[in-house]
Amino acid sequence: MSLEGVIAANRFGLGAKPGEVAAVTRDPHGWLLGQLAPEQELPAPLQALPSTVDDMSAFFKWLRTIADEAKANGMDPYKLKPGAPMTGMGEGGGANANGKPGFSIEREYVKTFVPRYAVAVKARYDTAVATDRPFFERLVHFWTNHFVVSGAKPGAIAMPPSFERDVIRPNVTGRFADMLLASTRHPAMLFYLDNYHSIGPDSKVGKDPSLRAPRKAQAFAVPLVAGLNENLAREVMELQTLGVRSGYTQADVTGFARVLTGWTIAAPPRVPLWKLVAQGRLNAQGLFEFDDEEHEPGPQTILGKTYAQSGVDQGEAVLHDLARHPATAHFIATKLARHFIADDPPPAVVDRLADVFLQTDGDLKAVCTALVKSPEAFDPAARKFKTPEDYVISAARALPGLPAEPGKLLRAYNSMGEQPYNPPGPNGWPDIADEWMGADAVWKRFEWANQTADSIASTTMDPLALAHDVLGPSLSEPTAQAIARAQSPAQGLTLLLASPEFQRR
Amino acid sequence: MISRRTTLGLIGGGVLAGAARVAFAAPETEKRLVVVILRGAMDGLSAVPATGDPDYERARNGLAQEGALPLDATFGLHPNLVGFKGLYDANELIVVHAAATPYRDRSHFDGQNLLENGSEKPYGVDTGWLNRALAAMPAGAKPLGIALNSHMPLMMRGAAEVTSWAPSALPRPDADTVQRLAMLYGETDPKLAQSFADAQDANGMAMGQGGGGGYQAFVGLMAAAAKFLSAPDGARVAMVELGGWDSHVNQAGAFSPLSKNLQTLDQGVAALKTGLGPLWKQTGVVIVSEFGRTVAMNGTMGTDHGTAGAMFVAGGAVKGGRVIADWPGLSPRALYQDRDLKPTTDFRAIATGVLRDHMGLHDAALAAVFPATTKIKPRDGLIRA
Repeated sequence: MSLEGVIAANRFGLGAKPGEVAAVTRDPHGWLLGQLAPEQELPAPLQALPSTVDDMSAFFKWLRTIADEAKANGMDPYKLKPGAPMTGMGEGGGANANGKPGFSIEREYVKTFVPRYAVAVKARYDTAVATDRPFFERLVHFWTNHFVVSGAKPGAIAMPPSFERDVIRPNVTGRFADMLLASTRHPAMLFYLDNYHSIGPDSKVGKDPSLRAPRKAQAFAVPLVAGLNENLAREVMELQTLGVRSGYTQADVTGFARVLTGWTIAAPPRVPLWKLVAQGRLNAQGLFEFDDEEHEPGPQTILGKTYAQSGVDQGEAVLHDLARHPATAHFIATKLARHFIADDPPPAVVDRLADVFLQTDGDLKAVCTALVKSPEAFDPAARKFKTPEDYVISAARALPGLPAEPGKLLRAYNSMGEQPYNPPGPNGWPDIADEWMGADAVWKRFEWANQTADSIASTTMDPLALAHDVLGPSLSEPTAQAIARAQSPAQGLTLLLASPEFQRR
Repeated sequence: MISRRTTLGLIGGGVLAGAARVAFAAPETEKRLVVVILRGAMDGLSAVPATGDPDYERARNGLAQEGALPLDATFGLHPNLVGFKGLYDANELIVVHAAATPYRDRSHFDGQNLLENGSEKPYGVDTGWLNRALAAMPAGAKPLGIALNSHMPLMMRGAAEVTSWAPSALPRPDADTVQRLAMLYGETDPKLAQSFADAQDANGMAMGQGGGGGYQAFVGLMAAAAKFLSAPDGARVAMVELGGWDSHVNQAGAFSPLSKNLQTLDQGVAALKTGLGPLWKQTGVVIVSEFGRTVAMNGTMGTDHGTAGAMFVAGGAVKGGRVIADWPGLSPRALYQDRDLKPTTDFRAIATGVLRDHMGLHDAALAAVFPATTKIKPRDGLIRA
């Protein structure tokens, strides 16, 4: 077993399964590069998940339930004013005016979505624990944390798994521009960053209020006024392409927001979307709609370039230019190098990856190949600290057969400070050790390691042999000694899982 | 800077460090400080509507607040800030309006980074201002600062030793395993050793707290903060955060996260006050968000990223019952870049006023806490004499 084998399995993979380091050691580079290919079929745990259409319709049905309940309580859901009484609704769910048991928005929400979320997180976990292409899976997780759709936003909770399957997985080894386009068109992103009802003030709908109510209010159960929402435009520039402080201005953001008006979720006039979806009259592709009547007409200038195209072509042209901008190349190169090599990535690697990105017009397979071939990538010093999710997954890979009940899994992630699919904001989860190494987070990992070891250890288990197997030559002498001297297999296993070399990569 | 505890941790591992718990004296200060970050940019004009401003109704169009709790001729509080109103009436709450950090762009993450690092640039320094303030306070045996958080926020990172805590639902590991791991960390990984020792201390103090987690647990975290701050040899400075303020859509609705968040904030401060009991009189609470939001409603009945907003200074030690605002007004020409509430009060003047008059930091220390090109003048009179 070589140190390079451990690094390939641990730093670029998801931690070694028993026997993996030995196998990878034969050709660590070849093992990694061989994973840079599209997947032949969706991993089995993911095939069982609900479709995108099902995810979307669950959300719209829930919205509809709230609206109906508001009406039943004599309120117009579209005209609720700040500070208005919420008798019979809201958190407490107390009795309403008619004396029947109250309706709780939050209870309804939890009932509808938490089970779906738990199943999706478990499927992501099962996929990662089982995979023989852990580098590919790491890249999936990386990009899902780059093009962020977070279930932390009320209503978006069902959507990230579909987004990951539709947008991320097919494009991980493809072109960056394709992933960006797929992301910006996906209903989950259009919803998460609010673009689906951003309306050009001078568009047909913008100028004629009578067109608005039948158009969307019924479908989305939200009131419509005409105007821009610049959320998606800003975050595409700041978080997904150019990066913050790369030179764009407020005017660029506003101009791009105008370009993206009309990029929405399909909702034919006067027919509630959820009903169409429920009746199977829409498919996932059909959920994106460019609505010319909501699109701000006329040319827009962004980063000094004027886009005179009409319709959806205008937005696609801007996205293509953003995707191949040098600032984007540098931003993506930095994030990839930070993710895999060091919190403070070596500038030489960043420059190298950015060059490849530009030369290949954003070919992600070429960029990742350059990453793996960088000498810095195999530096013996383990400078990355596993995120909570990767920590849990790597432990499960080292311990085949470890049971993972979905509720327990969620509680484990939550206690260590990370909820897969639900980062607090569109910038995703932090990717530096300082964020994950606070006293409480370290303690919670230890508690989890202890509980996990207790649940699986038996007197036939040899924790020291397992440590050698999955950590190879990265296992330090003090850790090996501590495990060897443990008073029980469970304690030895706890020490292995909590050891610095198991937590760092 | 290597503290005494760090040295102990390096030499003897967490076992010795744990034993040190009983050996040292309490911190010298009896004052308590809590800093609450509202992540996502709180809409200051919803929290503190300027209902008496002649331009308010027009400027806020669909978002003008009904049922605001009046503070003075110009300002009111959102109806969900009932507890805040009580504090205000008891002269224990200062509302600061049209306040901002020096940050003038509109990225949440740069804005939060600057708010936390305390310099004049995002990523200007890689430590937090609250940590630098802690470094200037007389140290006790244990960390003076605690983040009620499962990861360590930038504001609390730096040379001064700090700890963190959040509730757990898992069974407590046995003491022997704890000791062995502490020794292993002590031998191989100083960073993990330090965090592990701090966690043991925090666990000792938080016994009895449990359950919950995540942003929804804010009220419980504030109650836990009170517990840590009440321990005789415990922390004196706590940081808590509440996210979810990014109200781009339908923010005025009764279901809106904004309305809910204001209620949660209100309840959290109440839980802190209750938990602190008589110590509330020694306490200052600073509540701040990275920036405010647009004055006008956007196209989706929400507001987009803006500039100035509202902040709060609460606590029994605070000379409250007033609104501090060099009010710029809401007429079109008064707005910053034709869209945002114009910043007229520097957040750092408020923060340094509290750090100086409440926590006893001197000018030289304050200059290190908030390194600035132009000297920050601490706001006088925030704290009771």
